[in-house]
Amino acid sequence: MVPLTYFQLLSAALFAIGLYGVLARRSAVLIVLSIELMLNAVNINLIAAASHMDGVGRFSNFDGQIIAIFVITIAAAEVGLALAIILRMYRNRATVDVDEINLMKW
Amino acid sequence: MELAWLIPVLSFIAFPIIVFWGKRLPGGGAPLAIGAIAAGFALFWVALLGFLAATPDTEHCLTDAATGTLACNFQRAWFNAGLPGLPDSVALSWGMTIDPLALAMLGMVTLVALMVQIYSLGYMKGDPHFGWYYACHALFAAAMLTLVLADSFLLLYVAWELVGACSYLLIGFWHERPAAREAAKKAFIVTRLGDVGLLLGILLLWREVGSFSMTAAFELAHSGEMSHGVATASSLLMLLGAMGKSAQFPFHVWLPDAMEGPTPVSALIHAATMVAAGVYLVARAFPIFQYSGDALMAVAIVGLVTALMASTIALTSTDLKRILAYSTISHLGLMMLSLGAGGYTAALFHLLAHGFSKALLFLGAGSVLHSTEQQDIRHMGGLRKAMPLTALLFSLGAMSLGGIPILAGFWSKDEVLSAVSHGLHPVFIVLALVTALLSALYMARAMFVVFFGPSPESEHHDHPVHDAPLAMAAPMVLLGVLAAGFGLISFNWPGSFGGIGSFLFYHEPEGFHFTWWLGILSTILAVAAFAFGYLVYVRKSLSLEGFRRSFAPAIRVVERKYYVDELYQWVVDRVVMVFSRFIALFDRAVVNDVLVNGPANSARRLGVAMRLHVTGHVYSYALVMALGAAALAILWWWRVA
Repeated sequence: MVPLTYFQLLSAALFAIGLYGVLARRSAVLIVLSIELMLNAVNINLIAAASHMDGVGRFSNFDGQIIAIFVITIAAAEVGLALAIILRMYRNRATVDVDEINLMKW
Repeated sequence: MELAWLIPVLSFIAFPIIVFWGKRLPGGGAPLAIGAIAAGFALFWVALLGFLAATPDTEHCLTDAATGTLACNFQRAWFNAGLPGLPDSVALSWGMTIDPLALAMLGMVTLVALMVQIYSLGYMKGDPHFGWYYACHALFAAAMLTLVLADSFLLLYVAWELVGACSYLLIGFWHERPAAREAAKKAFIVTRLGDVGLLLGILLLWREVGSFSMTAAFELAHSGEMSHGVATASSLLMLLGAMGKSAQFPFHVWLPDAMEGPTPVSALIHAATMVAAGVYLVARAFPIFQYSGDALMAVAIVGLVTALMASTIALTSTDLKRILAYSTISHLGLMMLSLGAGGYTAALFHLLAHGFSKALLFLGAGSVLHSTEQQDIRHMGGLRKAMPLTALLFSLGAMSLGGIPILAGFWSKDEVLSAVSHGLHPVFIVLALVTALLSALYMARAMFVVFFGPSPESEHHDHPVHDAPLAMAAPMVLLGVLAAGFGLISFNWPGSFGGIGSFLFYHEPEGFHFTWWLGILSTILAVAAFAFGYLVYVRKSLSLEGFRRSFAPAIRVVERKYYVDELYQWVVDRVVMVFSRFIALFDRAVVNDVLVNGPANSARRLGVAMRLHVTGHVYSYALVMALGAAALAILWWWRVA
């Protein structure tokens, strides 16, 4: 069985890549993609942890999977909302570059 | 007698009704005000008869140990300052004292106010603020009546300030004229200076006595338990208030300027309300003044200085109303002098006699101004033919004040002189006689120049000069009768109540006394003054040119009113304004800039600094969020480790 640490390293790497994408990317679409990446990193972490819980047989504790399903559901809704916002943004400003979207400041 | 509380209350009620609904009332509300004060006059008689029938055994009445007269006191609870029953709480009450002093003032105030209000029907006819005029009159009378009825210093002070406020309203009644506005402000501020003294005096007495009750204070002074220093200090402070209201030197400056008000208002202020309040206050607080002794001397000196100074200014003034104003100041000085000499009865008798005569003179002057629209006596003359009734009544008032025998002023002035000669140093009586002579001289001057002298050639009037209409003439006739005959109540006529001295007295009932040498001397002086005035101003057989030339500098000083106004102006410019500028600087620099704007500015600067983190870039928020999460993770790590 693959040790848990490997999954955690994979998850951490994916999360870090996603975080980098959120912070460094200028395009709103790519930022949403990066957020998705971070969410999936968390999902990997959760399921890996669930599968390595102590108990009778594998997947004896379902908490991790259940939370992962919630995360997927919310991620779907979030993508729908985010894409709608990006669409409106593009309609209004003819760009999705978040550098340009800076009216909410001092 | 208990109904006397209605006397001021009726006029108080009339005030708001006329203010709010005056336009819809018949006659602009004037009949309501007149009705209220007329009812007050009728109730005065009810109260007087009730009082004369009262004995020390009557309920509410007792013989006041401090003044030696019968006094009836009626009280209602007002409110408690503090919790009732606790040692620090003060129970205050509405109350009135009915004693001879209060009754004498009540009678004069209601009568003169009634006459003035009836007179104003003619004088103020067609004025755009007719209703407001009567409303103020009603409030003025009500305030003054409360003042004379008050049984506690607190209520007296309330009424006192109300009188001041009403005088402000009425002197500035023609507020379209800048001079009237200035005069109203001057009257209010100058009397205010004295009022501060009165308030301090009252508070000092309260600390000593433990209540505002006059009776309690007088008892304490009478029994000698009051500290002598407190009595002197509080009576001097009250004297300050009286000097402000009664226009005594150096607070006399407001009264001549108050002539900017309508003439009937001047009559009211000068005779019945306002200026009488100061003399009334000293008479009311007489037990404390007398206990102090030194304060009484101060009263006498203030009175004498004022009387002399004002009567000389009256001689040089050329404005008819100002002559009368200075004459009022001078006579108020005589009343103060008389009080200072212990001549309680004489002072109040003179207050009443002067009140009727001066009201008559002002109403007469008002009648002259009303028809000639001229105040300067140099432009008047020979009005006797055009307005015979006014001429007759004005002369009556002038001769009464000048001290021509049988008229009211003669008797009262002689009482004053006699009191002064008995109670004070001979210097006082000599100077008082000089004042009496001057008083006769300026009265003769005003009367002869205006009514009997040759009329100035150049004058021609746009409309013919007419005598007073009925509404103005009737009150004048009634006051004329009083000015002529009022003095006779000082005698003990067979079957009458025994002369004014047996009614209005302090400790000992006074019979009528007439000091022969003083009476004859003052008669000679008065007659000589009037004869002199006749020769100078009517016959023109004597000329004052030589006299004027040789005393020119002295006359100029008098004409400029001894530079008192200039002195005040200097003090205001150089002391008050400089000090105020300093205060203003302090206010702007410290209070405003540092204390008020300081916190506001620092809050704004903090906000300006803090808002810089709001960049509007979505990734900077994300970075802060990520760093925050990392920081939380590190903290959690440490906690676990």
